[in-house]
Amino acid sequence: MNLNKILLLLISLVVFSACVQDDDFETPNVTIVEPTLDGPIVSMSSVAGQVAQSGGLHLFDFDGASNYMEGYVISTDEGGNWFEELIIQDKLENPTVGIKILLDVNPLFTRYDIGRKIYVRLQGLSVGDIDGVLTMGIISNIGNAEKIPAFLEEETIKRSSESGTVVPLNLTFNEFSNDKTNLFVKLEDVQFNRDEVLGAEPKTFASEMSDSFDGERLLESCTTEGSVIFSTSTFADFKSLNLPTTRVSMNVILSKNFFGDAFNVVVNSPEDITFSSSERCDPIELECGIATTTGTNNLFEDDFEGQSTNSLISGNGWTNFIEAGSEGWEAFTAGGTNASQGVSARVGSFNSGDASTIAWLITPQIDLDTNAGVTLNFETSSSFSDGSEMEIVFSNDWDGTEAGVTSATWGLVSDAYVTQDSDFFGDWFESGNVDLSCGSGQIYIAFKYIGSGQSDFDGTYELDFVSIDAQ
Amino acid sequence: MKKSFFILLLGVFSVLASFAQETIIKGSVLDGTTGEPIPDVTITIEETGQVVRTDANGEFQFPGIIPLGEQVLKIEKIDYETKRYPIVVNEGKTVDISGMTLDYDSSDKKDLFIISISDDNLNSEDDGLTDNISGLLQASRDVFLNAAAFDFSATFFRPRGLDNANGKILINGIEMNKQFSGRPQWGNWGGLNDIQRNQEFTMGMSANDYTFGDLAGSNNIIMRASKYRKGGRISFASANRSYTGRVMASYNSGILEGGWSYSILASRRSGDEGFVDGTLYDSNSFFAAVEKKINEKHSINLTSIYAQNRRGRSTAITQEVFNLKGNTYNPLWGEQDGEIRNSRVREINEPILMLNHFWDISSKIKLNTNVAYQFGTIGNTRVDNGGTRLVDFNGQNSYIGGARNPDPAYYQNLPSYHLRFPNLSPYNYQQAYLAEQDFRNDGQFDWNALYLGNDIARNQGGNSIYAIQEDRNDDSQFSINTILDTDLSDRIRLNANLSYRNLKSENFAELKDLLGGTGFLDVDFFAEETAGGTAVSLEDLAQSDTNNPNRIVQEGDRYKYNYDINADVISAFAQAQFKYNKVDFYLGANFSQTSYQRNGLYENGNFLNNSFGKGEQLDFSNYGVKAGATYKITGRHLIDVNTSYFTKAPTIRNSYSNARQNNNTVTGLESESAQAIDLSYIYRSPIVKARLTAFYSGFENGTDVGFYFTEDLAGLGIDNGDAFVQEVTTNIGRRNIGAELGIEAQITPTIKLKGAASFGQYTFSNNPNLYLTSDNFDGEVRFGDGTTNLKDLHVAGGPERAYQIGFEYRDPDYWWVGATSNFFSNAYVDASGLRRSANFTTDYDGQPIVGYDDDVARGLLQQEQFDDYMLVNIVGGKSWRIDGYYLGFFATINNVFNESFRTGGFEQSRLGTYDRVLEDTSRPNGEVFGSRYFFGNGTTYYLNVYVRF
Repeated sequence: MNLNKILLLLISLVVFSACVQDDDFETPNVTIVEPTLDGPIVSMSSVAGQVAQSGGLHLFDFDGASNYMEGYVISTDEGGNWFEELIIQDKLENPTVGIKILLDVNPLFTRYDIGRKIYVRLQGLSVGDIDGVLTMGIISNIGNAEKIPAFLEEETIKRSSESGTVVPLNLTFNEFSNDKTNLFVKLEDVQFNRDEVLGAEPKTFASEMSDSFDGERLLESCTTEGSVIFSTSTFADFKSLNLPTTRVSMNVILSKNFFGDAFNVVVNSPEDITFSSSERCDPIELECGIATTTGTNNLFEDDFEGQSTNSLISGNGWTNFIEAGSEGWEAFTAGGTNASQGVSARVGSFNSGDASTIAWLITPQIDLDTNAGVTLNFETSSSFSDGSEMEIVFSNDWDGTEAGVTSATWGLVSDAYVTQDSDFFGDWFESGNVDLSCGSGQIYIAFKYIGSGQSDFDGTYELDFVSIDAQ
Repeated sequence: MKKSFFILLLGVFSVLASFAQETIIKGSVLDGTTGEPIPDVTITIEETGQVVRTDANGEFQFPGIIPLGEQVLKIEKIDYETKRYPIVVNEGKTVDISGMTLDYDSSDKKDLFIISISDDNLNSEDDGLTDNISGLLQASRDVFLNAAAFDFSATFFRPRGLDNANGKILINGIEMNKQFSGRPQWGNWGGLNDIQRNQEFTMGMSANDYTFGDLAGSNNIIMRASKYRKGGRISFASANRSYTGRVMASYNSGILEGGWSYSILASRRSGDEGFVDGTLYDSNSFFAAVEKKINEKHSINLTSIYAQNRRGRSTAITQEVFNLKGNTYNPLWGEQDGEIRNSRVREINEPILMLNHFWDISSKIKLNTNVAYQFGTIGNTRVDNGGTRLVDFNGQNSYIGGARNPDPAYYQNLPSYHLRFPNLSPYNYQQAYLAEQDFRNDGQFDWNALYLGNDIARNQGGNSIYAIQEDRNDDSQFSINTILDTDLSDRIRLNANLSYRNLKSENFAELKDLLGGTGFLDVDFFAEETAGGTAVSLEDLAQSDTNNPNRIVQEGDRYKYNYDINADVISAFAQAQFKYNKVDFYLGANFSQTSYQRNGLYENGNFLNNSFGKGEQLDFSNYGVKAGATYKITGRHLIDVNTSYFTKAPTIRNSYSNARQNNNTVTGLESESAQAIDLSYIYRSPIVKARLTAFYSGFENGTDVGFYFTEDLAGLGIDNGDAFVQEVTTNIGRRNIGAELGIEAQITPTIKLKGAASFGQYTFSNNPNLYLTSDNFDGEVRFGDGTTNLKDLHVAGGPERAYQIGFEYRDPDYWWVGATSNFFSNAYVDASGLRRSANFTTDYDGQPIVGYDDDVARGLLQQEQFDDYMLVNIVGGKSWRIDGYYLGFFATINNVFNESFRTGGFEQSRLGTYDRVLEDTSRPNGEVFGSRYFFGNGTTYYLNVYVRF
């Protein structure tokens, strides 16, 4: 083998070594370039205004260039708590309107980070109030907004190079309103209801056997009345975390439940919850359990048959006190599915227009020291309690005056069953033979109604056959 | 020259006068091109099997008793076209056939199947469906096996229904089949065509000088420096099947002064994509061997092979995807920076070193001792879309993130998904239309979206959501053997082989590319606490290694899983061959001892007690016996029979149900046993060569482990039927029965007609046991009586019937052309074992499915048979001699008529129950989870130009 041959061999190799792209790819430039829009930009509030005008689903159909709506992303499906929904609001701070965009794309967080400004091309889209919140999608044949198909995403949603920090809007429960939905909201000093997180089996966000689609947990405020449902998807990455047991503050997106009839709050990730205290703000409770027998010595009873209908309950030792709003406990009769039991008592703030409704019906004083084996019995029914609540409370220190009601210390009689929103509205439910004997001294029992602050979302509670007995 | 060629081929040699009483056949062989005498040519009298070799002057003479009458001499030498010369022998006369010529085999046909073989192998899923056996057969001169190797290989045809795990590949006497899969890794010696011309192939279980063998045959590739013909060769090839270009250069020294010889080769194969889009090819191969003949008795050879290969893969697709995108579509690639980037790349990098000692103890006894060491890596990349970040929630950990499968052919991206409902709205149609348009116009991997996602994550301080994971096999194998070959008498020959091999295999995932991210959190995004709660928290469950929880890995780090397998095999083989006038026969036996042990380096959160440290050691003792005979009715009519019974240790792959996560060995694991018999009638006249064989082979106690995601596991409760499972099938019985025919006729000196046929039935002979394991549920899940009803279903793997007719025209002026027409039928889909278990009839609550209809079920479980198809192939070539250089080209066009055909496919087990399968198959707009298919190549070409000196 001579040198020429070796040379020839080497040259041929070099000449022919065709290049194949190796596996060292450079990280591509993914910087967002501000898009050029082929139409004018409109504000989210003007979009919302059009919905208000058309009074239903508004379809955008432009003759010329499409309008673009601009807004800032406040939701992320990174934690799996949102699915094929992108929620945007009009401003990073002090927003006035939020819209949920339905988009048949998963995941979204790999494109739309929180605080990113986006432009939504409105042509062909429709927007309206769907299940209680302002929702945008493409119109379907049955008049619903459907998810924007994945293959239209690119032409429909354009990302701006602008992004910033979303400053949550501070709200208390009683400030919730329909026009605050789809906004990034801060809830200060709240806690999960003690039934959710205290006791033998504290609940997780959404991995209980009974959770399907969503885990719904009762969240209450330590500063104001009322409660709200804290909702987490059973597909969330953090569904199996235990709920916080203490007072927290949290950044949430205010939304509605599946039926659109109650406010829900939803977090993007558990990081939205800040642990602010190791304490809780639970009410004092009287929790003696259910007694096996009812004594024969009746201390107090009322079947309301002696009350005059459509008037406030009075007499028989009752204190009927309206702490807030215009509604109080009154006597009524009704037939049909939602019948009263003869004359019954009821209270409700539905359509009252009250900014707040709180009504008390307080029994006469009962002496637990001299009477043994005291029990409480009553029946409740509801007519769609919705956002409103009824509590059975007691006090040892109320001075007996209307003026003293709010300054007295009231605790919960937690074993008494009060009809739930999920109960059939036509039925009456017994409280159970509520044992009061572990209490002491002189106590008052009160039936307290609390409106949600949204009177068009409140309901009515009905009460009958109140009886307090001793051995 | 031309004349003598004709005379030699046509002429029946008459007797030349001789004074002696002896009957003699003698002659000489010359190179047809150069006229130089050729030494070491094998001359065989076909009727008696008597063999002589030519000496340094190219001359030969048969000693001993010569058969009389019409005889055929077979003249063969590696690198040359074999020729057959008819002669007439008269008693007491000498037949002198001096000046026979042999032509250098310039066809390069062998290159072709090495191409197809190593390429298929590189692309294979290691599932047995896509493995091609034809590489094994390339050295065969059998007419049928040639058809199988050259023309049937495009469609995964398997002679006798055997795949390449049933064949043995040896290099210099050392077994190269991988212990992991039992299959040869062709890529390890790919691109070395020029130095792989010395091959000794044994059909089926018939006698082999090196190894007990296996049912599909054994092939020993001899890569000894002294065995190469002196000279060099440079070739360029262009093709559109796998690589687009190849350059290869080799030089062999021949035997030099001082007894030295050497051989070197370098080649490069490359291409941005093959026939299937996005299948990059990037391979460099180097070979060097040096041999020293120490004295008359001893030679030492050192061979080193380094064949490095990187290949972009393709995948099986559904009929819907095929209809939209055709047979070149590959969802695995996408563009990045204007370049094709494939998400699944296989890289093989396993150099081989071997030292061979040849000792001619006497003229009758030869001892060959070999030591080999192979080391390196095999890597397979894929996109990991489960990147998360750790969120500490007041002391509780959770993992946030993870993304959907970014596969562009993901079922939710296809029109059928949007049209899956019984009542369709315009909205559904709109979505389906948009999906179709998008898929037709693009349908490729969106790398940019992955980088964008990671960019967003990085800006928020998070880890990569997407990354490239490389599954790695880092093997190092040491082999030593010694092979004895001795003639006990003129009629009896003894072969023996004693060997040991040790494999240390490191198996792990390596983080290959963070795709712009800063790190990757090594937890299992899909880990989920089972409903009802377990003692282990999600935080533990999600850990791939609880000894290093919540680790953030960087590029180059191991993650996900990490374990070693240690395997030892000791084997002994002995064989005696007897040759008599009327009958030749052989007897052989082997014994082996195999052991495997897994050593877990990670403690997996799902398997805290049986994932870390050494697992149970598996031991298998195996033996085999074989015997066969050839009975020569006359020189033209022969009967050949081979029979064998043997057991084989299961492969490493099939010994562990889920080696990535735990030490569990397969329950009910047994060595597979095989019994086989074949009976052939062989006919050879001066014009016609034919073989007709009937064959049977039965297998028992086979094992198979598969992996898939399913939505439909029965009896686990509602919403609990989803799981990524390992499906373990044991006690598999198979029966392969059929007949094959090969016939060729040299009807004129230039025209040869060929025909081949295979008619077989390869079925399961029993209902194997089936169980599932998973990290989604505890223990082993079985359905009904624990079996799956596979009996009488066909074992998937290429067409069971194949037929060929063809011709070859070989012009005396050094050009030739050939064409074959090949017809295939009776190929079947790989049947889902899950669907044929009791799972199919069982609801989530463990009760029978309401509305189950036997007749409907039978229709749903009918094993799909693929359509028949015909492939026409054309080959041709020409060579020239210019000033001592030989220049030539070889070209082939495969599938001339661009026939579209399925080579294989499998049912998806994603849906596994009667109601779900019925629902899916009844959809008017197509199944969402239909079977996936491999489609054959359309028209492809291959052109090779070479110069030899």
